[in-house]
Amino acid sequence: MSENPYQTYDARILEVKDLTSREKLFTLRFLDPEVEAKFNFKPGQFVIVDIRGFGEFPISICSSPTRRGYLQLCIRKVGRMTKFVHKMKEGDVVGIRGPYGNGFPMEKMEGSNLILVAGGLGMAPLRSVLWYAIDTGKYENVWLLYGTKAYEDILFRDEIIHLLKHGEAMNCSVKLAYEVESPSCIYLEQGFSDRVCKGVVTDLFRGEEFDVNKAYALICGPPVMYKFVIRELLDRKLSPGRIYMTLERRMRCGVGKCGHCVVGTSVSMKYICQDGPVFTYWDALSTRGLI
Amino acid sequence: MRYIKLPSENFGKFFKSLGEWGTLYAPVKRGGIYSFQEVHDPAEIALDYNRTMLPPKKFFFRPKEAILRLKNGRWEEEVEAEPTVLFGLHSCDIHGLKILDKIYLDEPADPYYKSRREKTLIIGISCMPDEYCFCKSLGTHFAMDGFDLFLHELPDGWLVRIGSVRGHEIVWENGELFEEVTDEDLANFKEFEEKRAKAFQKELPQEGLADMLDLAYNSPVWKKYADICLTCGNCNMVCPTCRCYEVCDRWMDAYSSVRERRYDSCFMENHGLVAGGHNFRPTRLDRFRHRYYCKSYFDPTAGYNCVGCGRCDEFCPAKIEHVKVLEEVRGSLK
Repeated sequence: MSENPYQTYDARILEVKDLTSREKLFTLRFLDPEVEAKFNFKPGQFVIVDIRGFGEFPISICSSPTRRGYLQLCIRKVGRMTKFVHKMKEGDVVGIRGPYGNGFPMEKMEGSNLILVAGGLGMAPLRSVLWYAIDTGKYENVWLLYGTKAYEDILFRDEIIHLLKHGEAMNCSVKLAYEVESPSCIYLEQGFSDRVCKGVVTDLFRGEEFDVNKAYALICGPPVMYKFVIRELLDRKLSPGRIYMTLERRMRCGVGKCGHCVVGTSVSMKYICQDGPVFTYWDALSTRGLI
Repeated sequence: MRYIKLPSENFGKFFKSLGEWGTLYAPVKRGGIYSFQEVHDPAEIALDYNRTMLPPKKFFFRPKEAILRLKNGRWEEEVEAEPTVLFGLHSCDIHGLKILDKIYLDEPADPYYKSRREKTLIIGISCMPDEYCFCKSLGTHFAMDGFDLFLHELPDGWLVRIGSVRGHEIVWENGELFEEVTDEDLANFKEFEEKRAKAFQKELPQEGLADMLDLAYNSPVWKKYADICLTCGNCNMVCPTCRCYEVCDRWMDAYSSVRERRYDSCFMENHGLVAGGHNFRPTRLDRFRHRYYCKSYFDPTAGYNCVGCGRCDEFCPAKIEHVKVLEEVRGSLK
């Protein structure tokens, strides 16, 4: 591989799938078999997508490293670049560099319970963790608490409903909170009355007992969500060192040079792209501006 | 370290000999401003300059540069570097480069910065502080490494410190130009340094600086100065350690494009803007404070991100003084 960290590698879009009206799932594979063979990542890491002649943007990987041969990215149409990507079709080629960031410490958490708390688009990086946990079977129980706006906004809806139905067999318990009522939601609520409710993601903690000495919480969602979810976890006496969260910042270069993702103060400065994007709550307490 | 002497009468020959190593750049006065320019004759150089507007970082990390070129659908790298001699760097600027090295040479190394750095000879020169300098209080007023040769002014020539193997080679090849250092030279060197140490008018006490600032996160002083600040980003551009950059692709014609990067400033509103409109430093206050935190961050291996060169003060259109802001913040804690 090239020594130039800014060089990207061609990857072909194998499949484009509409997830919602705003999000699409892109399945990619590197054209060069050597690059494909070397490319390995951890759940929670991100890549930089390069649309040649238009620019680059960072995006977290939402597939699991246990499923090799392809790479999946869930891309929301929010700006100029992502709008362009949404027009791309199967067979088109984009550039990819990475993976970047620290990722979740999956090995350290082996044998524990995982509490995944996702809000909206935060489901994307946590999907990687979810499938990793299910595929490896190295974790005792996995909870997924997922807060979404409406039924139409549920990312990976088929997979979520599948897990609602058959998750128990995989030691995986899914709970869903929605904010906007619709016939589909009510139907879902009737089918899984104990696990689907109207409300916000913190409502899903109600009635759940976690063995705090054996559990890790992994959070990803909009900035406003962290404070409330963390309070809920701390109320249950989960140690701040067992609370992991993945953050979104403006990662431009991904390699700790461009300075856009730097947060903190004179005693603790972090490059989100290299020191993160996964941090514990201890990090958040010692680094201002992290959450 | 090896010390030798370059007598005044040999300076011209020595300078000419450096031309064999690469293109020569040195501080030149144009209008009221000093800047590093290509020179061919020692007479062009302003040896007694205070500071250039743009620091020497411009030679390694360019204000605007192409990093990749799109040809036939593929990115081609553009790592061009030619042998260069930077003559007359002050100690603070050498320290500034060391801080940039820490970022740009750390793995994965930036190939553009690295290739230029490797092909550049650094010749330091002693200076006298003016009203803006506060490098002494940050410990950057004297460089122990980071240069090939360092010239200290003596009444009848220069005391030369050799800081690298390349420095040794230059002296070796021009052996006839140099003399051994005498006790008198050393006494003169010491006298100059003592005189220089007394000449500093500004001081930034670094004791507990990082902690003090962290405690003063909510100090009203930040707000006071953020209101005066024009957020023009001048201080970022002229800072020898500021290294934020922005990247964009630019089409040259229908078939080729170039990926360029250029200096960016943390005072700009879109510096912390992410997709979807969330900005993690939305206000002028947030951005103003961030710069001071970034400059006062202490890295155990590279030191502070500020070297006390005084450029941000001299070139600030709002006349905001770095030391004064920090002192007021410190004062507000009491």
